[in-house]
Amino acid sequence: MPGRTTKEDTPQDAQMEDAPTSAQVGEAQVEDEIEEDQEEEVEPQRVRILPGSTDTAASFEFIDEGHTLGNALRYVIMKNPDVEFCAYSIPHPSEPKMNIRIQTYDGHAVDALKKGLADLQDVCDVVAEKFWTKREEYNAEHGIAR
Amino acid sequence: MDDYDMMDGAGDQPQVKISGADSTRVEFQLSKTNLSFANSIRRIIQAEVPTIAIDLVEVEVNSSVLADEFIAHRLGLIPLDSSTANELNFTRDCDCEQYCEQCSVTLTLNAKCQSDEIMKVYASDLVVDGRHSSNVGKPVITDPDGLGCLIAKLRRDQELRLTCIAKKGIAKEHSKWMPTSAVGFEYDPHNKLAHTDLWFENDTDPAVEWPKSKYADWEDPPQEGEPFDYDATPNKFYFEVETAGGMQPNQIVMSGIDALIWKLGGLLVGLGVREPEKEAGAGGYDGPRSPDMNMDGGTTPWGQDGYQSAYGGGGQTAYGGGGMTSYGGGYQTAYGGRTDYQGSSWQ
Ligand SMILES: [Zn+2]
Repeated sequence: MPGRTTKEDTPQDAQMEDAPTSAQVGEAQVEDEIEEDQEEEVEPQRVRILPGSTDTAASFEFIDEGHTLGNALRYVIMKNPDVEFCAYSIPHPSEPKMNIRIQTYDGHAVDALKKGLADLQDVCDVVAEKFWTKREEYNAEHGIAR
Repeated sequence: MDDYDMMDGAGDQPQVKISGADSTRVEFQLSKTNLSFANSIRRIIQAEVPTIAIDLVEVEVNSSVLADEFIAHRLGLIPLDSSTANELNFTRDCDCEQYCEQCSVTLTLNAKCQSDEIMKVYASDLVVDGRHSSNVGKPVITDPDGLGCLIAKLRRDQELRLTCIAKKGIAKEHSKWMPTSAVGFEYDPHNKLAHTDLWFENDTDPAVEWPKSKYADWEDPPQEGEPFDYDATPNKFYFEVETAGGMQPNQIVMSGIDALIWKLGGLLVGLGVREPEKEAGAGGYDGPRSPDMNMDGGTTPWGQDGYQSAYGGGGQTAYGGGGMTSYGGGYQTAYGGRTDYQGSSWQ
Protein backbone atom coordinates (compact mmCIF):
# COMPACT_ATOMS: atom_id res chain seq x y z
CA MET A 1 0.00 0.00 0.00
CA PRO A 2 1.25 3.45 -0.74
CA GLY A 3 2.52 5.24 2.30
CA ARG A 4 0.32 7.75 3.93
CA THR A 5 1.22 11.23 4.91
CA THR A 6 1.52 11.16 8.65
CA LYS A 7 -0.43 13.87 10.32
CA GLU A 8 2.31 14.44 12.89
CA ASP A 9 4.54 15.88 10.25
CA THR A 10 2.20 18.69 9.53
CA PRO A 11 3.56 21.86 11.03
CA GLN A 12 1.07 23.32 13.37
CA ASP A 13 0.35 26.91 12.87
CA ALA A 14 -0.48 28.78 16.02
CA GLN A 15 -2.14 31.55 14.08
CA MET A 16 -4.62 29.23 12.50
CA GLU A 17 -7.01 29.04 15.42
CA ASP A 18 -9.89 30.34 13.40
CA ALA A 19 -9.39 28.03 10.50
CA PRO A 20 -12.57 26.05 10.72
CA THR A 21 -11.86 22.96 8.73
CA SER A 22 -8.45 21.48 8.71
CA ALA A 23 -6.84 22.85 11.84
CA GLN A 24 -4.75 20.03 13.15
CA VAL A 25 -5.04 21.15 16.74
CA GLY A 26 -7.84 19.24 18.39
CA GLU A 27 -9.25 22.03 20.47
CA ALA A 28 -12.36 20.49 21.76
CA GLN A 29 -12.36 16.75 21.58
CA VAL A 30 -15.84 15.34 21.75
CA GLU A 31 -15.92 14.19 25.33
CA ASP A 32 -12.87 12.83 26.93
CA GLU A 33 -14.34 10.36 29.29
CA ILE A 34 -14.95 7.83 26.55
CA GLU A 35 -11.96 5.63 26.96
CA GLU A 36 -13.03 3.38 29.74
CA ASP A 37 -10.48 0.72 30.26
CA GLN A 38 -9.97 -0.09 26.63
CA GLU A 39 -6.33 -0.81 27.22
CA GLU A 40 -4.85 -2.01 23.98
CA GLU A 41 -6.11 -0.86 20.62
CA VAL A 42 -6.88 2.66 21.58
CA GLU A 43 -8.95 3.64 18.64
CA PRO A 44 -7.95 7.06 17.42
CA GLN A 45 -10.77 9.50 17.91
CA ARG A 46 -12.50 9.82 14.57
CA VAL A 47 -14.93 12.61 15.40
CA ARG A 48 -14.12 15.98 16.82
CA ILE A 49 -15.88 19.27 17.29
CA LEU A 50 -14.39 22.05 15.29
CA PRO A 51 -13.37 25.30 16.96
CA GLY A 52 -15.99 27.98 17.16
CA SER A 53 -18.83 25.62 17.94
CA THR A 54 -21.43 26.28 20.58
CA ASP A 55 -23.86 23.92 22.28
CA THR A 56 -26.61 24.43 19.78
CA ALA A 57 -24.53 25.07 16.69
CA ALA A 58 -21.58 22.85 16.09
CA SER A 59 -19.44 21.53 13.28
CA PHE A 60 -18.05 18.04 13.52
CA GLU A 61 -15.12 16.63 11.66
CA PHE A 62 -15.11 12.96 10.79
CA ILE A 63 -11.84 11.34 9.82
CA ASP A 64 -11.92 8.66 7.12
CA GLU A 65 -15.54 9.16 6.26
CA GLY A 66 -17.09 10.42 3.07
CA HIS A 67 -20.35 10.73 1.21
CA THR A 68 -21.40 7.22 2.23
CA LEU A 69 -21.86 8.32 5.81
CA GLY A 70 -22.17 12.06 5.31
CA ASN A 71 -25.17 12.23 3.06
CA ALA A 72 -27.22 9.57 4.79
CA LEU A 73 -26.42 11.00 8.20
CA ARG A 74 -27.32 14.49 7.05
CA TYR A 75 -30.69 13.22 5.87
CA VAL A 76 -31.44 11.43 9.10
CA ILE A 77 -30.36 14.34 11.29
CA MET A 78 -32.56 16.68 9.27
CA LYS A 79 -35.54 14.55 10.19
CA ASN A 80 -35.07 15.42 13.82
CA PRO A 81 -37.56 18.22 14.58
CA ASP A 82 -35.13 19.75 17.08
CA VAL A 83 -32.68 20.38 14.30
CA GLU A 84 -32.81 23.69 12.54
CA PHE A 85 -30.04 23.09 10.06
CA CYS A 86 -27.83 20.23 9.02
CA ALA A 87 -25.41 19.97 6.14
CA TYR A 88 -22.26 18.11 5.31
CA SER A 89 -19.26 18.75 3.15
CA ILE A 90 -15.99 17.25 2.15
CA PRO A 91 -13.74 20.30 2.30
CA HIS A 92 -10.99 18.90 0.13
CA PRO A 93 -10.99 15.71 -1.92
CA SER A 94 -7.46 14.76 -0.97
CA GLU A 95 -8.07 15.01 2.75
CA PRO A 96 -9.97 12.05 4.21
CA LYS A 97 -12.26 14.30 6.18
CA MET A 98 -15.96 14.94 6.21
CA ASN A 99 -17.59 17.79 8.11
CA ILE A 100 -21.13 17.95 9.41
CA ARG A 101 -22.73 21.14 10.62
CA ILE A 102 -25.65 20.89 13.01
CA GLN A 103 -27.70 23.74 14.39
CA THR A 104 -30.54 22.95 16.74
CA TYR A 105 -33.60 24.83 17.94
CA ASP A 106 -33.39 23.02 21.17
CA GLY A 107 -30.84 20.76 22.81
CA HIS A 108 -27.22 20.04 22.15
CA ALA A 109 -25.88 19.57 18.69
CA VAL A 110 -23.85 16.63 19.96
CA ASP A 111 -27.02 14.91 21.07
CA ALA A 112 -28.56 15.48 17.67
CA LEU A 113 -25.51 13.86 16.12
CA LYS A 114 -25.71 10.87 18.43
CA LYS A 115 -29.39 10.53 17.76
CA GLY A 116 -28.75 10.74 14.05
CA LEU A 117 -26.21 7.95 14.20
CA ALA A 118 -28.54 5.76 16.22
CA ASP A 119 -31.51 6.51 13.97
CA LEU A 120 -29.52 5.70 10.87
CA GLN A 121 -28.61 2.40 12.45
CA ASP A 122 -32.29 1.78 13.00
CA VAL A 123 -33.05 2.50 9.36
CA CYS A 124 -30.28 0.15 8.28
CA ASP A 125 -31.60 -2.53 10.52
CA VAL A 126 -35.09 -2.23 9.11
CA VAL A 127 -33.80 -2.41 5.56
CA ALA A 128 -31.62 -5.40 6.41
CA GLU A 129 -34.56 -7.16 7.96
CA LYS A 130 -36.89 -6.35 5.07
CA PHE A 131 -34.38 -7.43 2.52
CA TRP A 132 -33.79 -10.66 4.29
CA THR A 133 -37.42 -11.60 4.70
CA LYS A 134 -38.28 -10.60 1.14
CA ARG A 135 -35.41 -12.62 -0.21
CA GLU A 136 -36.53 -15.63 1.80
CA GLU A 137 -40.04 -15.19 0.45
CA TYR A 138 -38.74 -14.86 -3.07
CA ASN A 139 -36.68 -18.01 -2.71
CA ALA A 140 -39.64 -19.91 -1.35
CA GLU A 141 -41.89 -18.71 -4.16
CA HIS A 142 -39.43 -19.52 -6.88
CA GLY A 143 -38.17 -22.71 -5.36
CA ILE A 144 -34.65 -21.42 -5.03
CA ALA A 145 -32.75 -23.44 -2.53
CA ARG A 146 -29.45 -22.25 -1.36
CA MET B 1 -38.43 4.05 19.64
CA ASP B 2 -38.58 7.42 18.04
CA ASP B 3 -40.76 10.35 18.75
CA TYR B 4 -40.97 11.52 15.20
CA ASP B 5 -41.55 9.86 11.91
CA MET B 6 -38.17 8.27 11.58
CA MET B 7 -39.53 4.81 11.77
CA ASP B 8 -42.82 4.72 13.61
CA GLY B 9 -45.66 3.07 11.85
CA ALA B 10 -44.92 0.42 9.32
CA GLY B 11 -46.19 2.74 6.62
CA ASP B 12 -43.19 4.98 6.94
CA GLN B 13 -40.61 2.29 7.08
CA PRO B 14 -38.41 1.68 4.11
CA GLN B 15 -39.74 -1.12 1.98
CA VAL B 16 -37.94 -3.72 -0.05
CA LYS B 17 -39.29 -5.70 -2.97
CA ILE B 18 -37.29 -8.38 -4.72
CA SER B 19 -38.01 -8.48 -8.42
CA GLY B 20 -35.50 -11.01 -9.59
CA ALA B 21 -32.69 -13.14 -8.28
CA ASP B 22 -30.41 -15.96 -9.21
CA SER B 23 -27.01 -17.14 -8.12
CA THR B 24 -25.17 -14.21 -9.63
CA ARG B 25 -27.47 -11.25 -9.18
CA VAL B 26 -30.35 -9.84 -7.21
CA GLU B 27 -32.71 -7.11 -8.29
CA PHE B 28 -34.63 -5.22 -5.71
CA GLN B 29 -36.60 -2.08 -5.21
CA LEU B 30 -36.04 0.05 -2.16
CA SER B 31 -38.87 2.46 -1.48
CA LYS B 32 -40.15 4.90 1.10
CA THR B 33 -36.70 6.16 1.71
CA ASN B 34 -34.52 8.89 0.43
CA LEU B 35 -31.90 9.31 -2.23
CA SER B 36 -29.20 9.95 0.37
CA PHE B 37 -29.79 6.72 2.16
CA ALA B 38 -30.27 4.65 -0.98
CA ASN B 39 -27.05 6.01 -2.39
CA SER B 40 -25.22 5.17 0.82
CA ILE B 41 -26.37 1.60 0.45
CA ARG B 42 -25.09 1.53 -3.10
CA ARG B 43 -21.76 3.04 -2.13
CA ILE B 44 -21.20 0.74 0.78
CA ILE B 45 -22.10 -2.34 -1.24
CA GLN B 46 -19.53 -1.39 -3.81
CA ALA B 47 -16.73 -0.16 -1.63
CA GLU B 48 -16.87 -1.47 1.90
CA VAL B 49 -17.93 -5.08 1.90
CA PRO B 50 -14.93 -7.17 2.97
CA THR B 51 -13.78 -9.86 0.56
CA ILE B 52 -10.68 -11.96 0.01
CA ALA B 53 -8.13 -11.30 -2.72
CA ILE B 54 -4.52 -12.14 -3.38
CA ASP B 55 -2.41 -9.37 -1.94
CA LEU B 56 1.15 -10.64 -1.82
CA VAL B 57 2.89 -12.78 -4.41
CA GLU B 58 6.26 -14.38 -3.86
CA VAL B 59 7.68 -15.39 -7.21
CA GLU B 60 10.18 -18.19 -7.06
CA VAL B 61 10.43 -18.96 -10.74
CA ASN B 62 8.91 -17.05 -13.58
CA SER B 63 10.29 -17.90 -16.97
CA SER B 64 7.08 -17.01 -18.75
CA VAL B 65 6.93 -14.09 -21.13
CA LEU B 66 4.99 -12.03 -18.61
CA ALA B 67 6.66 -9.84 -16.01
CA ASP B 68 6.28 -10.78 -12.34
CA GLU B 69 4.24 -7.67 -11.63
CA PHE B 70 1.94 -8.39 -14.51
CA ILE B 71 1.18 -11.84 -13.20
CA ALA B 72 0.85 -10.56 -9.64
CA HIS B 73 -1.71 -8.06 -10.82
CA ARG B 74 -3.68 -10.72 -12.65
CA LEU B 75 -3.60 -12.93 -9.60
CA GLY B 76 -4.95 -10.12 -7.46
CA LEU B 77 -8.01 -9.84 -9.67
CA ILE B 78 -8.99 -13.50 -9.46
CA PRO B 79 -12.25 -13.79 -7.50
CA LEU B 80 -11.77 -15.91 -4.41
CA ASP B 81 -14.50 -17.41 -2.27
CA SER B 82 -15.36 -14.73 0.26
CA SER B 83 -18.64 -16.07 1.57
CA THR B 84 -16.92 -16.83 4.85
CA ALA B 85 -14.63 -13.83 4.79
CA ASN B 86 -15.73 -13.21 8.37
CA GLU B 87 -13.48 -16.04 9.41
CA LEU B 88 -10.44 -13.97 8.68
CA ASN B 89 -9.13 -10.92 10.46
CA PHE B 90 -7.93 -7.91 8.65
CA THR B 91 -4.17 -8.21 8.79
CA ARG B 92 -3.89 -4.78 10.35
CA ASP B 93 -6.03 -5.95 13.27
CA CYS B 94 -4.34 -9.30 13.60
CA ASP B 95 -1.86 -10.05 16.34
CA CYS B 96 0.65 -11.58 13.98
CA GLU B 97 3.81 -9.92 12.72
CA GLN B 98 3.18 -10.08 9.01
CA TYR B 99 0.41 -12.51 8.19
CA CYS B 100 -0.86 -15.76 9.61
CA GLU B 101 -3.60 -18.30 8.98
CA GLN B 102 -6.05 -16.14 10.91
CA CYS B 103 -5.70 -13.28 8.51
CA SER B 104 -4.61 -14.88 5.27
CA VAL B 105 -5.00 -17.78 2.91
CA THR B 106 -2.00 -19.12 1.04
CA LEU B 107 -2.32 -20.28 -2.54
CA THR B 108 0.51 -21.86 -4.45
CA LEU B 109 1.00 -22.25 -8.15
CA ASN B 110 3.36 -24.71 -9.78
CA ALA B 111 3.23 -25.01 -13.51
CA LYS B 112 5.75 -26.03 -16.11
CA CYS B 113 5.12 -26.66 -19.76
CA GLN B 114 6.68 -29.88 -20.92
CA SER B 115 5.08 -30.32 -24.30
CA ASP B 116 5.27 -28.53 -27.59
CA GLU B 117 1.77 -27.32 -27.14
CA ILE B 118 1.12 -24.02 -25.42
CA MET B 119 0.09 -24.65 -21.84
CA LYS B 120 -2.56 -22.53 -20.23
CA VAL B 121 -2.40 -21.84 -16.54
CA TYR B 122 -5.78 -21.33 -14.91
CA ALA B 123 -7.05 -20.20 -11.54
CA SER B 124 -8.00 -23.80 -10.93
CA ASP B 125 -4.28 -24.61 -10.86
CA LEU B 126 -3.90 -22.58 -7.69
CA VAL B 127 -3.63 -24.85 -4.67
CA VAL B 128 -5.19 -23.53 -1.48
CA ASP B 129 -3.55 -24.33 1.81
CA GLY B 130 -5.51 -26.77 3.93
CA ARG B 131 -5.50 -24.62 7.01
CA HIS B 132 -9.07 -23.45 6.71
CA SER B 133 -11.99 -25.79 7.05
CA SER B 134 -14.24 -23.65 4.89
CA ASN B 135 -13.85 -22.64 1.29
CA VAL B 136 -12.45 -19.27 2.20
CA GLY B 137 -9.94 -18.08 -0.39
CA LYS B 138 -10.64 -20.81 -2.95
CA PRO B 139 -10.63 -19.51 -6.49
CA VAL B 140 -14.15 -19.16 -7.80
CA ILE B 141 -14.71 -21.55 -10.70
CA THR B 142 -18.00 -21.20 -12.53
CA ASP B 143 -17.22 -22.20 -16.09
CA PRO B 144 -18.45 -25.60 -17.26
CA ASP B 145 -14.93 -26.90 -17.80
CA GLY B 146 -13.99 -26.06 -14.25
CA LEU B 147 -10.91 -24.10 -15.23
CA GLY B 148 -11.45 -20.63 -13.84
CA CYS B 149 -9.68 -17.51 -15.02
CA LEU B 150 -6.73 -17.78 -17.34
CA ILE B 151 -3.59 -16.54 -15.59
CA ALA B 152 -0.84 -17.06 -18.16
CA LYS B 153 0.28 -19.18 -21.09
CA LEU B 154 3.54 -21.13 -21.09
CA ARG B 155 5.69 -22.45 -23.91
CA ARG B 156 7.90 -25.51 -23.66
CA ASP B 157 10.21 -25.32 -20.63
CA GLN B 158 8.71 -22.13 -19.33
CA GLU B 159 7.81 -22.35 -15.70
CA LEU B 160 5.76 -20.54 -13.11
CA ARG B 161 6.34 -21.24 -9.43
CA LEU B 162 4.90 -18.83 -6.93
CA THR B 163 3.17 -18.43 -3.59
CA CYS B 164 0.26 -16.06 -3.12
CA ILE B 165 -0.98 -14.63 0.13
CA ALA B 166 -4.65 -13.72 -0.02
CA LYS B 167 -5.96 -11.28 2.54
CA LYS B 168 -9.19 -9.71 3.56
CA GLY B 169 -9.77 -6.17 2.41
CA ILE B 170 -12.30 -3.70 1.09
CA ALA B 171 -12.62 -2.07 -2.30
CA LYS B 172 -11.93 1.34 -0.84
CA GLU B 173 -8.36 0.18 -0.55
CA HIS B 174 -8.10 -1.64 -3.88
CA SER B 175 -10.80 -2.51 -6.36
CA LYS B 176 -9.72 -6.14 -6.44
CA TRP B 177 -11.65 -6.46 -3.19
CA MET B 178 -14.90 -5.40 -4.80
CA PRO B 179 -17.59 -7.96 -4.15
CA THR B 180 -19.61 -6.83 -7.14
CA SER B 181 -19.00 -6.64 -10.83
CA ALA B 182 -21.84 -4.18 -11.24
CA VAL B 183 -24.41 -2.42 -9.14
CA GLY B 184 -27.32 -0.94 -11.01
CA PHE B 185 -28.91 2.03 -9.32
CA GLU B 186 -31.82 3.80 -10.86
CA TYR B 187 -34.75 5.97 -9.91
CA ASP B 188 -37.39 8.05 -11.61
CA PRO B 189 -37.45 6.12 -14.91
CA HIS B 190 -39.57 8.77 -16.62
CA ASN B 191 -37.23 11.54 -15.51
CA LYS B 192 -40.15 13.44 -14.02
CA LEU B 193 -37.76 15.06 -11.57
CA ALA B 194 -35.53 16.25 -14.40
CA HIS B 195 -32.42 15.08 -12.61
CA THR B 196 -30.89 14.29 -15.95
CA ASP B 197 -30.87 16.12 -19.26
CA LEU B 198 -31.43 13.26 -21.68
CA TRP B 199 -29.58 15.26 -24.27
CA PHE B 200 -30.12 14.35 -27.92
CA GLU B 201 -28.87 15.41 -31.31
CA ASN B 202 -31.11 17.81 -33.22
CA ASP B 203 -32.26 15.46 -35.92
CA THR B 204 -32.74 12.42 -33.74
CA ASP B 205 -35.70 11.11 -31.85
CA PRO B 206 -35.17 11.40 -28.09
CA ALA B 207 -37.41 8.42 -27.50
CA VAL B 208 -35.05 6.33 -29.61
CA GLU B 209 -31.89 7.83 -28.18
CA TRP B 210 -33.09 7.25 -24.64
CA PRO B 211 -35.09 4.03 -24.59
CA LYS B 212 -37.19 3.57 -21.48
CA SER B 213 -35.73 1.32 -18.86
CA LYS B 214 -37.58 -1.76 -17.81
CA TYR B 215 -38.60 0.05 -14.67
CA ALA B 216 -40.60 2.58 -16.66
CA ASP B 217 -43.59 0.24 -16.54
CA TRP B 218 -43.49 0.27 -12.80
CA GLU B 219 -44.19 3.93 -12.42
CA ASP B 220 -46.84 6.20 -13.89
CA PRO B 221 -45.72 8.03 -16.99
CA PRO B 222 -46.05 11.80 -16.91
CA GLN B 223 -49.39 13.14 -18.05
CA GLU B 224 -49.61 15.39 -21.04
CA GLY B 225 -49.07 18.98 -19.91
CA GLU B 226 -48.49 17.94 -16.32
CA PRO B 227 -46.96 20.84 -14.38
CA PHE B 228 -43.53 20.29 -12.89
CA ASP B 229 -43.72 19.30 -9.25
CA TYR B 230 -41.07 21.30 -7.44
CA ASP B 231 -41.57 19.44 -4.19
CA ALA B 232 -41.22 15.96 -5.59
CA THR B 233 -38.34 13.83 -4.37
CA PRO B 234 -37.32 10.38 -5.51
CA ASN B 235 -38.49 7.62 -3.23
CA LYS B 236 -38.23 4.43 -5.25
CA PHE B 237 -34.81 3.05 -6.06
CA TYR B 238 -34.06 0.11 -8.29
CA PHE B 239 -30.96 -1.86 -7.48
CA GLU B 240 -29.33 -4.63 -9.45
CA VAL B 241 -26.45 -6.19 -7.59
CA GLU B 242 -24.29 -8.55 -9.57
CA THR B 243 -21.61 -10.53 -7.80
CA ALA B 244 -18.05 -10.82 -9.01
CA GLY B 245 -18.27 -14.45 -7.90
CA GLY B 246 -16.84 -14.48 -4.43
CA MET B 247 -20.09 -13.96 -2.55
CA GLN B 248 -23.78 -14.61 -2.95
CA PRO B 249 -25.50 -11.47 -4.19
CA ASN B 250 -27.85 -11.27 -1.23
CA GLN B 251 -24.96 -11.77 1.11
CA ILE B 252 -23.30 -8.77 -0.47
CA VAL B 253 -26.33 -6.63 0.25
CA MET B 254 -26.57 -7.85 3.82
CA SER B 255 -22.87 -7.38 4.45
CA GLY B 256 -23.07 -3.90 3.00
CA ILE B 257 -25.88 -2.83 5.32
CA ASP B 258 -24.04 -4.50 8.12
CA ALA B 259 -20.88 -2.59 7.36
CA LEU B 260 -22.87 0.63 7.57
CA ILE B 261 -24.39 -0.38 10.90
CA TRP B 262 -20.95 -1.13 12.24
CA LYS B 263 -19.49 2.05 10.96
CA LEU B 264 -22.22 3.94 12.82
CA GLY B 265 -21.74 1.81 15.90
CA GLY B 266 -18.05 2.58 15.96
CA LEU B 267 -18.75 6.28 15.78
CA LEU B 268 -21.32 6.08 18.55
CA VAL B 269 -18.84 4.31 20.74
CA GLY B 270 -16.33 6.98 19.86
CA LEU B 271 -18.84 9.55 21.05
CA GLY B 272 -19.22 7.72 24.32
CA VAL B 273 -22.73 6.44 23.73
CA ARG B 274 -23.66 3.46 25.77
CA GLU B 275 -26.85 1.55 25.60
CA PRO B 276 -28.57 1.22 28.94
CA GLU B 277 -31.04 -1.34 27.69
CA LYS B 278 -28.31 -3.51 26.42
CA GLU B 279 -26.43 -3.48 29.66
CA ALA B 280 -29.54 -4.35 31.55
CA GLY B 281 -29.59 -7.62 29.69
CA ALA B 282 -31.00 -8.92 26.51
CA GLY B 283 -34.36 -9.77 28.04
CA GLY B 284 -35.54 -6.28 28.69
CA TYR B 285 -35.03 -4.99 25.23
CA ASP B 286 -38.01 -5.26 22.99
CA GLY B 287 -37.15 -2.86 20.27
CA PRO B 288 -37.27 -4.05 16.74
CA ARG B 289 -34.50 -6.42 16.15
CA SER B 290 -33.11 -8.33 13.32
CA PRO B 291 -34.58 -11.73 12.85
CA ASP B 292 -32.32 -14.67 12.94
CA MET B 293 -30.99 -13.96 9.59
CA ASN B 294 -27.68 -15.05 8.42
CA MET B 295 -25.59 -13.27 5.98
CA ASP B 296 -23.97 -16.13 4.27
CA GLY B 297 -26.96 -18.26 3.61
CA GLY B 298 -25.46 -20.82 5.89
CA THR B 299 -26.69 -21.86 9.24
CA THR B 300 -25.18 -19.25 11.47
CA PRO B 301 -27.85 -16.90 12.67
CA TRP B 302 -27.10 -13.31 12.13
CA GLY B 303 -24.78 -12.71 14.91
CA GLN B 304 -26.38 -14.74 17.60
CA ASP B 305 -23.55 -16.90 18.70
CA GLY B 306 -21.02 -16.09 16.11
CA TYR B 307 -20.54 -12.50 16.96
CA GLN B 308 -20.67 -13.17 20.60
CA SER B 309 -17.54 -15.19 20.58
CA ALA B 310 -15.98 -12.94 18.05
CA TYR B 311 -15.94 -10.33 20.69
CA GLY B 312 -13.51 -12.14 22.85
CA GLY B 313 -16.09 -12.26 25.58
CA GLY B 314 -16.93 -8.62 25.49
CA GLY B 315 -20.28 -8.89 27.14
CA GLN B 316 -22.96 -11.41 26.52
CA THR B 317 -25.12 -9.04 24.55
CA ALA B 318 -23.13 -9.35 21.45
CA TYR B 319 -23.93 -7.49 18.35
CA GLY B 320 -26.56 -9.63 16.74
CA GLY B 321 -28.56 -9.98 19.91
CA GLY B 322 -30.52 -6.97 18.84
CA GLY B 323 -29.29 -5.83 15.53
CA MET B 324 -30.99 -2.57 16.15
CA THR B 325 -28.59 -1.31 18.68
CA SER B 326 -25.36 -2.87 17.87
CA TYR B 327 -23.23 -0.30 19.50
CA GLY B 328 -24.12 -1.14 23.02
CA GLY B 329 -22.86 -3.75 25.38
CA GLY B 330 -20.61 -6.19 23.72
CA TYR B 331 -19.71 -3.89 20.94
CA GLN B 332 -18.16 -1.51 23.32
CA THR B 333 -15.35 -3.88 23.99
CA ALA B 334 -15.32 -5.22 20.56
CA TYR B 335 -14.73 -1.96 18.93
CA GLY B 336 -11.18 -1.97 17.83
CA GLY B 337 -11.97 -1.11 14.34
CA ARG B 338 -15.24 -2.16 12.88
CA THR B 339 -13.40 -5.18 11.78
CA ASP B 340 -13.69 -6.93 15.06
CA TYR B 341 -17.05 -8.26 14.23
CA GLN B 342 -15.39 -10.17 11.52
CA GLY B 343 -13.55 -12.01 14.23
CA SER B 344 -12.15 -15.35 13.46
CA SER B 345 -14.55 -17.42 15.46
CA TRP B 346 -17.54 -17.02 13.29
CA GLN B 347 -18.19 -20.63 12.70
ZN1 LIG C 1 -2.52 -12.60 11.19
